[in-house]
Amino acid sequence: MLEIKNLKASINNRQILKGLNLSIKPGEVHAVMGPNGSGKSTLANVLSGKNGYEISGELNFEGKSLKKIPVEERAQKGIFLAFQYPLEIPGVNTNNFLKTSLNSIRKANGDKELDTLSFLKLVKEKSLELGIDEKILSRQLNVGFSGGEKKKNEILQMKILNPSFSILDETDSGLDIDALKIIANGVNSSRDKKKSFLVITHYQRLLDYIKPDFVHILSDGKIVKTGCSELAEELEKTGYKNFN
Amino acid sequence: MPENINIDANQIDKINKITLEEKEFRIKNLELFKAAGFPNKRLEDWKFSDFKNIVDTNFKILDTNKVTTISKKIDLLKDFEHNYIFLINGNLHSSNFDYEKKEKIKVNSYNSSSNYKISDNPMVCLNHALAENGYLLEIGKNYKFKKILVVYNLFTKNLENKILNIKNKIKLNENSELHVMDYTINESKFINNTYEEVILEKDSKFKNINIQHNKSNGFFHKFLKNKLSLNSSYSNLIFSSGLKFNKLDIECDLIEKNSNCNILSALFLKKDEHQEIKTRINHLAPNCKSFQSVKNVLSPYSKGIFQGKIYVKDVAQKTDAYQLSKALLINDDAEFNSKPELEIYADDVKCSHGSTSGSVDENSLYYLMSRGLTRADATKLLIKGFLNDVVEFIKNPSIKKFIENKLEENINGY
Ligand SMILES: Nc1ncnc2c1ncn2[C@@H]1O[C@H](COP(=O)(O)OP(=O)(O)OP(=O)(O)O)[C@@H](O)[C@H]1O
Ligand SMILES: [Mg+2]
Repeated sequence: MLEIKNLKASINNRQILKGLNLSIKPGEVHAVMGPNGSGKSTLANVLSGKNGYEISGELNFEGKSLKKIPVEERAQKGIFLAFQYPLEIPGVNTNNFLKTSLNSIRKANGDKELDTLSFLKLVKEKSLELGIDEKILSRQLNVGFSGGEKKKNEILQMKILNPSFSILDETDSGLDIDALKIIANGVNSSRDKKKSFLVITHYQRLLDYIKPDFVHILSDGKIVKTGCSELAEELEKTGYKNFN
Repeated sequence: MPENINIDANQIDKINKITLEEKEFRIKNLELFKAAGFPNKRLEDWKFSDFKNIVDTNFKILDTNKVTTISKKIDLLKDFEHNYIFLINGNLHSSNFDYEKKEKIKVNSYNSSSNYKISDNPMVCLNHALAENGYLLEIGKNYKFKKILVVYNLFTKNLENKILNIKNKIKLNENSELHVMDYTINESKFINNTYEEVILEKDSKFKNINIQHNKSNGFFHKFLKNKLSLNSSYSNLIFSSGLKFNKLDIECDLIEKNSNCNILSALFLKKDEHQEIKTRINHLAPNCKSFQSVKNVLSPYSKGIFQGKIYVKDVAQKTDAYQLSKALLINDDAEFNSKPELEIYADDVKCSHGSTSGSVDENSLYYLMSRGLTRADATKLLIKGFLNDVVEFIKNPSIKKFIENKLEENINGY
């Protein structure tokens, strides 16, 4: 599904990713852990297609290079990023935005656009499934949302847009235990043979709920170690000092 | 006297039934206009809108002669139930108040021009000199309108290269309430010069929405003079004009306690459009409140201006005055000027003002686009979001929907 070879990325003349290799197959969940500033969000941004980075190396999604594909087309192809810091967009109703968004994706894939009624039905279903109060969707996008509400909103968006590859950038940071379960449930209930996830986190506790197939340690722009869930437990005890 | 304008020397003589006093007032104002000409940027109030230059570039020859009235049918708006006044070139053509108690409403043609203060705005002088068209609307004591009143303002094709001077007067008597939507339909390239007075008696409430039916080659100047008595309330919501030039000069006198005034605008300016909102809020009595929020979205090669002044007289303690102007520039080739001014002589007041202008936020665009929206759709969404709070001010759902659709139409073509 995703093949990254020797990926380098710099911004403002600063190299952040320094030759990163990663391969994710359909159905797999990969966790990425790593110290602050090691380049985790940069990796997520680069995968989503954010402008401004100078990039070299290979970046293939479903067999095709992503390099020339703009951000909206990547979303239409099924790449989703749950932001570490979701933006507040004043005056934009969350439901309206999500409907426009879902229909852009459907249109690009040759599916019929949903009318308001079927869209609201879908929203109801997904928020019920996740245990998220759908009322937040009638508010302005992330405006005045609590930290946890913002994160839940990202997961609800993920559920509604139904991407094939989701990147969660510290979606678990700052969450209470119930919210954490909602997030984990969002991932677990979507897991199937075709969907893959890249879960960026600082905490082992999320991985108690989302069982990853692989755990990677990212340090100074490179993946320095790959293992299975035990690696996360080891990290919890010893910290990053052994992995530089 | 400006070179490119013809004013018939006998025009004032031809005005029906005027007193000697009024005639003298009109002649005096005509002299003032002739001496000053169209206002140019050397006048402080016009420093961002050089009207003389704009007129010179767009009109070779102008005249103020009356046009023959073409009788027309209007297509009434079907989006919401409403009363209406139908004006053709400023003249009262017909009206309908089927939703209301008719004995509470007085509507007439209005063409009086006397007892006005001499103005230092040459366009107001021109209006005082020549205004012959307009309407007078008066609402009786304790009467609250059940439905909105739409004032259809149709300007016909034969106004090409003319200057039309219109004078209107709206009076709300004690404890009455009226919502008006000014709906302008313009078919000509001409100059419209309106002077409008709104008089609010004790406890009355007036709400006004301004919107245009279509994009046009109109060059509009409107001076609005509002007087607010005890506990009265005035709101004006101004939406995109679609005119080539539009200057609204709004003066509000809060003459008695507890009156309040709201001016909000959501403007989307397209290429080659020039729009200025100028306000002067005079806090002349204690405990009054004023709120101004002016939002401009500027397309390339458009120009927006906000000049807002808050004046607080020494006796006007406990004044609460707020003013904010925000501009969103779609790219660098747009121009926005803002000049906020405070002049405060009372010590116990709450006054704040601010002004920001910036371009569309790249990070917000990225967030929206990461959900599959094209750059154009994401930009539209941000523009709508930016203008949204003005729309939110409208309480009636079908009117709100109507305005939203109008804005949407506007933004879609950005
Ligand atoms: N636009 C930029 N210009 C310059 N440096 C940047 C820019 N964006 C990120 N960086 C730097 O790149 C490094 C990696 O940032 P990144 O956000 O990817 O870290 P991270 O691993 O996600 O950290 P955290 O765990 O704190 O979220 C940091 O040192 C950061 O300051
Ligand atoms: Mg990060």
